[in-house]
Amino acid sequence: MSVFTLSQAEREKSLLPQLAELTAHHRENSEGYDRILSSLGIARDAAFASIADLPWLPVRMFKTHDLRSIPESEIFKTLTSSGTTGAGASRIYLDKAAAGAQTKQLGATLQEVLGGERLPMLMVDTIGIIKNRRSFSARGAGVLGMANFGRKHTYVLDENDEPDVEAVKTFLATYGDKPFLIFGFTFMVWQYLYEVAREHKLDLSNGILIHSGGWKKLIDRAVDNTEFRRRFKEDTGLTRIHNYYGMIEQIGTVFLEGPSGNSLYCPDFADVVIRNPETWEEQPVGEPGVIEVVSTLPHSYPGHVLLTEDLGVYNGIDDGDWPGKHFSVMGRLPKAEARGCSDTFQGAAA
Amino acid sequence: MTLNQRFPLSDAIEVDKLVEELRAEPVGGRLRVGDPRVVEFLTKFARKLLAPATARRFPELASLGFFLRKGEIAKALSTLETSGDALRFPRGLVFHVPPANVDTIFVYSWALSALAGNHNVVRVSSRSAGAAETVLEALNAALSEVDADTAAAITATQRMITYDRSDAISGALSVAADLRVIWGGDASVAALRKYPLAPHARDLTFPDRSSFAVASVRGWHEASETERRGAAEGFYNDSYWFDQAACSSPRAVFWVGDEAGAREAGQEFRKLLAEVLAKKQHVTEPAMAVQKRVSAYGAAVDGLVNGIEFQGNGIVTLELADPAILPREWLGAGTFANARVDTLSDLVPIVLRKDQTVGQFGFSKEELTQFVTELAGRGVDRVVPFGSALTFSAIWDGYDLLTEFSRLVTVQA
Repeated sequence: MSVFTLSQAEREKSLLPQLAELTAHHRENSEGYDRILSSLGIARDAAFASIADLPWLPVRMFKTHDLRSIPESEIFKTLTSSGTTGAGASRIYLDKAAAGAQTKQLGATLQEVLGGERLPMLMVDTIGIIKNRRSFSARGAGVLGMANFGRKHTYVLDENDEPDVEAVKTFLATYGDKPFLIFGFTFMVWQYLYEVAREHKLDLSNGILIHSGGWKKLIDRAVDNTEFRRRFKEDTGLTRIHNYYGMIEQIGTVFLEGPSGNSLYCPDFADVVIRNPETWEEQPVGEPGVIEVVSTLPHSYPGHVLLTEDLGVYNGIDDGDWPGKHFSVMGRLPKAEARGCSDTFQGAAA
Repeated sequence: MTLNQRFPLSDAIEVDKLVEELRAEPVGGRLRVGDPRVVEFLTKFARKLLAPATARRFPELASLGFFLRKGEIAKALSTLETSGDALRFPRGLVFHVPPANVDTIFVYSWALSALAGNHNVVRVSSRSAGAAETVLEALNAALSEVDADTAAAITATQRMITYDRSDAISGALSVAADLRVIWGGDASVAALRKYPLAPHARDLTFPDRSSFAVASVRGWHEASETERRGAAEGFYNDSYWFDQAACSSPRAVFWVGDEAGAREAGQEFRKLLAEVLAKKQHVTEPAMAVQKRVSAYGAAVDGLVNGIEFQGNGIVTLELADPAILPREWLGAGTFANARVDTLSDLVPIVLRKDQTVGQFGFSKEELTQFVTELAGRGVDRVVPFGSALTFSAIWDGYDLLTEFSRLVTVQA
């Protein structure tokens, strides 16, 4: 069952009623969310003409306020992430159903590129990242979430964060002649897997790489997505590479890079809207704007329509590897800074 | 332990050496209150700030230049004239810690202290840019335009320095000072208070403050089209010059009068304000626009507001659920809480000690005096017309600065 099937018109038709219903559901069950929409003058029975018409929340709201649509007694899992802005951590509340749904839908999304069975898995991280199960870093949560989709996990880094070349060689000798899964954060995959594989002439041609986490650190090394793919192909034989875009505030929803590379696609239960930051209208293909992510997964908290702090651009609609909109992420919005009388940074005076 | 000397431009120096130099008596004798050498230097410096190219680039420096013109200085000094048995003298060595992000405050603080005849060491933020750099250039340039003796006296007694965080340096300057002046809000005050002062010395602190505006519905009705436009323009300067983050910039607007009149006046005022933003080609960066949404929506979640209105990204109006609960923190450049009250007296119980400036439109002097009298010192340090909120004055945060920067000696024969 592929989840990359709906054309944009079909997606509107299928998702809009679900999202409108979710909006009503969250108004009913999250007083804070209802207060926002009421303050904006959006009537409770308002009709929405399209997905782009739905009211959005800035993703940072989950850093500054507790917003949930379930009573405290039903909280099954609280996810926290510290963002890159340093504005505290997002708090995302899941009940049992939401936790189940997000795992299931992430699986359905990844199945598109992994096939039905669990593959032997190389983790480009250290086992230490998931040791402390009581407090997850976003990275730990990502690693743990992905671990479910593989078996026979081998960690590329040892306890001291040093590449464990022998472990990787052993893994490849055992499983390297059939498809295997590789997971890691983009920067670490480059620094620890690519560089080690090139140096030791490792053959990764049966690998399927799933990676995420932004290009900021790699741009300094003049490596963009195209270069990343080219070098992996030339130096290690790895060609099945899928970057994905997702965030803890919409856990379970990932926008996945298609087989031909350089464009991210929406699974059938999600969509994306690129907005002009001046007018907040939707941008046409090719015009950069702020990325809004839309998903029918968030039932337990009002996170179904979120404005991110990332810039992106539509590369096309219904004309790529898979149906629907496909887009690229171009980086983060620069931080808002204000002048003023108060020195807001730490230890300003001392 | 070395620090960089930005004015007078000179080699890095050890803090102990700096204190020793600042303690020495300058060529031509000790500085006095209103010392002509300081006056001469300041007026040369002011002229540089008022140069058209500079004033166009940094309007706030033009205000500063105006403040330091010869006539203005004389006016300020005349308030210090003593009578009877008292004679006025400088305090000695003053250590100034200005805020990092308002580029001009350090100059006002320093200039008034120098006028009072003090030796000064000013810690300029190493993050300072733009206007602050221009100020330092102008100071150094002015030094070569005064006679040699004046230049020598200024160089010996006035220093602007930068240094990275250092307990040793902040500690040494604090213990050497006769007066320490701390701007930059609560956090800066708390950070500096860790360093002991000499027993006779004291702090002059400028903690976090907040400000609001009041507009008379009747006054708005009686105002001409030109006056209304002027109000919007003044309010723009008060609010947007420093991204509404200056402590004197209004964060809330209270319309005083009847409900229908307040609604109508408020709408017209915001329409005019939007026109000013368009005319000034005001740009709200996307990140700031997002920040404003986060703040506005957050205020709604908290139950503080029951209406949010956007006029583009530039102006966000938050209708307060209860005028008595107003946001005093910064919510993003161009975010205004809005509420109506029947009379100025209704605002009295709302005012806190933290409230600094009340920008006003359309009230008579009598009405405002009555309001301040009713406040009876609970808060508010200044009431100014729209457009003057950011105008610095020698009386600030309730202090007469020249008086604070000097001391009295009484003589009885």
